[in-house]
Amino acid sequence: MSAVTPQTDPIEDYVSSLAAALHGPARTKARMVAEVREDLTDAVSERTRAGLTYQRAADQAVREFGTADELVVSWQRELTIAQARHTARAVALTVPFVIACWYLVRQAGHDQTWELPRTAQLLAVHLAGVSAAAALLAAVALAATGTLARWLPTPDRLPLTVAWGGTVASVSMAVATLALAIAAALGTDWLLLAFAGALAATSHALVAGSARSCRRCARLPVIEAPGAGER
Amino acid sequence: MRQDAVRGHLDGLLLAVLEPGPLHGYAIITAVQQRSGGALELRTGTIYPALNRLERIGLLRSSWQSAGERRRRCYELTEAGRRTLASERTAWQEFTTAIGSVLNPVTPPGVAT
Repeated sequence: MSAVTPQTDPIEDYVSSLAAALHGPARTKARMVAEVREDLTDAVSERTRAGLTYQRAADQAVREFGTADELVVSWQRELTIAQARHTARAVALTVPFVIACWYLVRQAGHDQTWELPRTAQLLAVHLAGVSAAAALLAAVALAATGTLARWLPTPDRLPLTVAWGGTVASVSMAVATLALAIAAALGTDWLLLAFAGALAATSHALVAGSARSCRRCARLPVIEAPGAGER
Repeated sequence: MRQDAVRGHLDGLLLAVLEPGPLHGYAIITAVQQRSGGALELRTGTIYPALNRLERIGLLRSSWQSAGERRRRCYELTEAGRRTLASERTAWQEFTTAIGSVLNPVTPPGVAT
């Protein structure tokens, strides 16, 4: 008895291997992969109309598309930039949290008598300052990878810089959360400080995951895309 | 023609084939091949990162469009894309004129004026 090996669909195999090799924001990656599937389906339809079998048409279409190994590096560059923009937006989104946090800490500090809560408040304010600096870096990164990229080349190290900027912001917000929690436990205005701590924790949660993904993407090898940064 | 020869001109090629109206990825590749009489060999897969980049910098916009049971992402030029295409054309004409005047001089070389 001979075992019959079921033939796999070359398009699905190809799309799966490409998807497995790429890292970046889920929505952007899903969109790129969906486009590949549509493109290959078009290419196969054209060939089957010309008389080829599905299997041969699919093999040909995949060969013309380029191997996953050939393409993954240039595709990863775009996904890495997309991830850097995602992280930059997350960092920028923490600005209102940082401002609210700062305001609440100042309000709570007016009638502060305990030394430790005062120290914790100062620490929280300084860490919020670090986050504000990271937000400024994020704004620059968004501009440099957006419209400005028409005229200026995007620095290769920008995604890594954004990744570490996001990491620093996320760590500072985590420490600020801890400091505010201590201040809330020992201070008189515990409700305001606890609310400020909750805001800091939310900021941390927003940025931490995105910054981790960005560090991972930024470590992957990339090449300059054709035409990129040549203006 | 090798793909290396296209490097640096891919943006202009993509913007030019999108000038008449919106197209999806496979139609863009087909349009480049048809316009070049099959002379330009583009790996189909290379255009997607380029389209993504052109959209990111605001020269293209895209949207999903349904065609029967299929959904295709169609790209079209923005106003900035049209302006960039015009300047790409001007730059290309200046470049080919300059190279052409060196390769095919009006006055034969060695003739003193």
